Amino acid sequence: MSTISVLQEGPVNALALNKDNSQVAIGGRNVFKVYSIEEDCFKEICNLRASKHLNLSFSCNDVAWSSTDDNYLATAATNGHVCVWNLTKSGKAMQEQVYQEHKRTVNKVNFHSSEPYRLISGSQDGTMRYFDMRCKAAVATFLSNTESVRDVQFSPHMPHTFAAVSENGSVQLWDVRRTEKCIQQFTAHSGPIFACDWHPEATWLATASRDKTIKVWDLTTSKPTLDYTIHTIASIGHVKWRPQRKYHIASCALVVDCSINIWDIRRPFIPFAAFNEHKDIASGVAWRGDSQVFLSTSRDCSLIQHSFKDASRPASKANIQALDISTKGNTLFGMRVPVSTNTTKPTGLMRKSSTSTISDQFHQSASVLHQFTHVSVCNDLSSFEFLAKNYILYGRSFPEMCEHNAAVAKECGKSNISTIWKIVNTMYGELYVKIQAMHNNGGLNLMNNVDASSTEKKNNDVVGEAAAAQFSSADDDVEGEDQVDHTAVANGYHTYNKYGHPKGDFSFGENELDLELDALSIDYRNGMRNQNQLQQQEDWTLPNEAFNIRHEIRDRSPPPEQFPNNNSPDFNDDSHSSTVDEQPTWLVSVSKIPPMPIWDPSASLIESLKHHAEKGDVQTSVSVLIVLGEHRKNLKTLDENTVTHWLMGYIQTLERFRLWNVKALVIELAWIPSISQMNQQSTRINTNCSQCLKPLQRSGWLCDRCHSTDASRCSICHQVVKGLYVWCQGCSHGGHLMHMQEWFSKNKQCPTGCGHLCEYR
Amino acid sequence: MSYQDDEESVPYDDHPNSFPKNFGYGQYEGEQDNSLSPTGEQKPRILLMGLRRSGKSSIQKVVFHKMSPNETLFLESTNKIVKDNINNSSFVQFQIWDFPGQIDFVDSAFDPHMIFGGCGALIFVIDVQDDYSDALLQLHSTVTQAYKTNSNIKFEVFIHKVDGFGDDSKMESQRNIHQTATESLIDAGYDQIHLSFHLTSIYDHSIFEAFSKVVQKLIPQLPALENLLDILNTNSAIEKSFLFDVVSKIYIATDSTPVDMQSYELCCDMIDVVIDVSYIYGVREDQEAAFDEKSSSLIKLNNGTVLYLREVNKFLALVCILREDNFEHKGIIDYNFLCFRKAIQQVFELRNKTNQMLNMCNVASSPIMNGNNLVDDNNEEILNDEDN
Repeated sequence: MSTISVLQEGPVNALALNKDNSQVAIGGRNVFKVYSIEEDCFKEICNLRASKHLNLSFSCNDVAWSSTDDNYLATAATNGHVCVWNLTKSGKAMQEQVYQEHKRTVNKVNFHSSEPYRLISGSQDGTMRYFDMRCKAAVATFLSNTESVRDVQFSPHMPHTFAAVSENGSVQLWDVRRTEKCIQQFTAHSGPIFACDWHPEATWLATASRDKTIKVWDLTTSKPTLDYTIHTIASIGHVKWRPQRKYHIASCALVVDCSINIWDIRRPFIPFAAFNEHKDIASGVAWRGDSQVFLSTSRDCSLIQHSFKDASRPASKANIQALDISTKGNTLFGMRVPVSTNTTKPTGLMRKSSTSTISDQFHQSASVLHQFTHVSVCNDLSSFEFLAKNYILYGRSFPEMCEHNAAVAKECGKSNISTIWKIVNTMYGELYVKIQAMHNNGGLNLMNNVDASSTEKKNNDVVGEAAAAQFSSADDDVEGEDQVDHTAVANGYHTYNKYGHPKGDFSFGENELDLELDALSIDYRNGMRNQNQLQQQEDWTLPNEAFNIRHEIRDRSPPPEQFPNNNSPDFNDDSHSSTVDEQPTWLVSVSKIPPMPIWDPSASLIESLKHHAEKGDVQTSVSVLIVLGEHRKNLKTLDENTVTHWLMGYIQTLERFRLWNVKALVIELAWIPSISQMNQQSTRINTNCSQCLKPLQRSGWLCDRCHSTDASRCSICHQVVKGLYVWCQGCSHGGHLMHMQEWFSKNKQCPTGCGHLCEYR
Repeated sequence: MSYQDDEESVPYDDHPNSFPKNFGYGQYEGEQDNSLSPTGEQKPRILLMGLRRSGKSSIQKVVFHKMSPNETLFLESTNKIVKDNINNSSFVQFQIWDFPGQIDFVDSAFDPHMIFGGCGALIFVIDVQDDYSDALLQLHSTVTQAYKTNSNIKFEVFIHKVDGFGDDSKMESQRNIHQTATESLIDAGYDQIHLSFHLTSIYDHSIFEAFSKVVQKLIPQLPALENLLDILNTNSAIEKSFLFDVVSKIYIATDSTPVDMQSYELCCDMIDVVIDVSYIYGVREDQEAAFDEKSSSLIKLNNGTVLYLREVNKFLALVCILREDNFEHKGIIDYNFLCFRKAIQQVFELRNKTNQMLNMCNVASSPIMNGNNLVDDNNEEILNDEDN
């Protein structure tokens, strides 16, 4: 069955299939025809408007085909007539019955599903009429007491019941034998209802309304329950359940949307399938008894048979991830997860997944919905304290510290800071060590060989490597690996074989450079990147060979003021470095393998640290710098004053939070002398003389100014206090701890009578 | 407290923002004038009732006096019964009695016959944003009292101020009010009373639509008009047509296809545009009305739709929505329109004749007219147009 269509001379309002689905009748304002449905085309059997005496009864709002007798058609006309047509006759006799009972337009006619000759009509005048084709007048009239009835449908389950929907949004159930009152009435929509359809198997009634919803009501009990709601983009004019698919329903819109949508009622926001063949809004849908084929008519004057295999699946084009952020910063994120991973627990607070084993493929999927709420406990103050207390700044390996700190930051809700820790870890972590090591290993290895002979040289080298390669903290660790890699890498990369070979060997055959200075061969690589620093090292005696890394760093990047001649080139001059600049190309020529590119992350890191510091978060900047340890010296463009400033800022903030331990730790770990010296300062606090209120500089019991020992006397017992002396910083009076405790348990003022309201706690 | 029986003394006409009483339409001087209003008592009346501050005056001002919804905030509460005669249209001749909410008119001091006697419809306004349990009690007593006096009254309940409500809560309150009100009537033994419910708000067009439906119920010619519009649509390839009361933008009738809210709003806006523009450019010095028999307008939208407005009579306008390619046959549409207008006039004449006849017979109520005969008369004429 393929998609076929036929064009009419006017808009088509309705269609009806005969009982064996082989023929279709269509009706409209200017159209009234019967077609037989062939394999690949529609064949016109009869045109009921062929008669010369046309009147308004020939233009129909709705068409129905008797479900028992193939020869009978019924139509609803805009002038209030209900006509019954006998297809076996011809000419004027075809119009077998004309019921002129409705005062206004008839919107719908519906044949009874089992009783022949019986049909019902619903009209704009708010009445429904029950006809027997053998009678000249209506058998029964039902007054709905509503504005106008838009649709009437006999129930397929209860032979005497029919449903009527009306423009005031109410649904009524009637028994054809009781005309005085409906069995049941309920308000289903907030706008006019335009269509309804009984489910062929379940006791569901679907209603479609101008309020842009299709609702599915369960009518098994006396109180109807709303089982499903489908939200559409436009008012819905018609609905029809799909046969053999319990949850599928076809709908066509009244305005805007020209496509026919097939919905799965369990998925109410996106159609299961859509048919976009029509150019104007569709006016009717009828299934050909089969779930794969249906016919539709449209205002664009066409009749189309749709085949399900030609459907477009809007769901497949839909974005399967959704994100929204509320005004309060809560974030909702929905995404699809593979069915197999259904059991994995998402990290979010909420989880909603739907799985089903129905054959429809899209139900085989699951989705998760994460709700990320803004964690209010982590405001800036408490998180500062939390982070300060929980960061690990020393004592473990670099990656470990980074990971720990990242976890701490995340726990606190600071995911951006957590990310920074992770990035820092990646940039300077183990992987990086390896890469750098590969770059370095020629030098390192050879350096190890020379190592024993010259400690000074080694030291130079270490600095040089670090400067060149951005990394050196794990020198000792990587050496083992370097040994292994040596043979492979030594050929491939910068083979600084000058170390291993006699110096004269350095000149390659094609080397055009005049390498005259031996010194150059020692540090030509260093000179490339960090000439100045190297020079520093060169002319500075190295005192701390055996010291731990921290001291080494501090010593190597001293504050500028301590080394005023820092920048003066006294060993290498610029000409050397310029020649060296070109050298690597020649060195590389030893092997065909290109060097692995080295990305220098320090610039980005500095940028991000500065960003945080500017935002007022020196904590992150300082902590990262401390944890970086030796890698710090790669951050060459970070100027010392800024760092000092950050450190001071952080220390002051810590003081305000009374985080003395952390403060002391930071000062101790600080690599800038002016900061680390802070711990060297005296922590002594002088007591004041109780008479002149000046600090007692020399000793605790004798005031140099008034030469009295009054200062150390207890205000209560007037004895000189030896041992614990408690005093008020406000008025400088004090005394024995026990005495003062006793006094202040009863009084608030100072025991000396000076009038000060001492606060003793 | 006194009723303002004298129609000439309009209590609130001097309100700064309200339109003049004649809305700039001039005096209605049709030949039908005398016959249309034999006596003031026979005009069908619409009563507007409800608790105080439920929005009755605002509804009236917005619908019939073109007040902007925002300005209704400054309306003072009504403390006497205000009668407003909407008699500028040959179709809508209604009195709206805006009862002050705090009056207990069921009190024996008030004559129920006076109030409900000639009343066609009773609109009871419930403020849904408020606690409406009192309103429901009031509704019950009002409806039963009115029904006892005049059983022909149509009862309309406006569930008002639904703006800002979600669809679900709208539904919920409608269902709740419907159920409570209906059950209390049934309990009291008035199960023959039928209440219609409308969800309304003055901030959108729902109040106009609700009023349209109320007014339509009071127009006995509605089936005939609807039929005429259907025929016009069929033969002119018009998608949707409304017969508007120009003043209030209430639609007197529309064809039988479902009313889409957007199209209705579009047509309302078009009427505003036409009136405003013709007020500026189309009014000569010797005439006051901005809307006359030459009024017509054509707006082409960029989605291939055409809005077409034609004057039907002094107070009615036909607004059609049709596709641009169907508008090529403008000649046929215009001719069909002329037939349509003639038919409408015949409807009026028939009514006037019956009215006159009834006056002679001294029968007070107006019978429901059978539209079918009339439509058949016109059918052939319009159908023939198509062949031309």
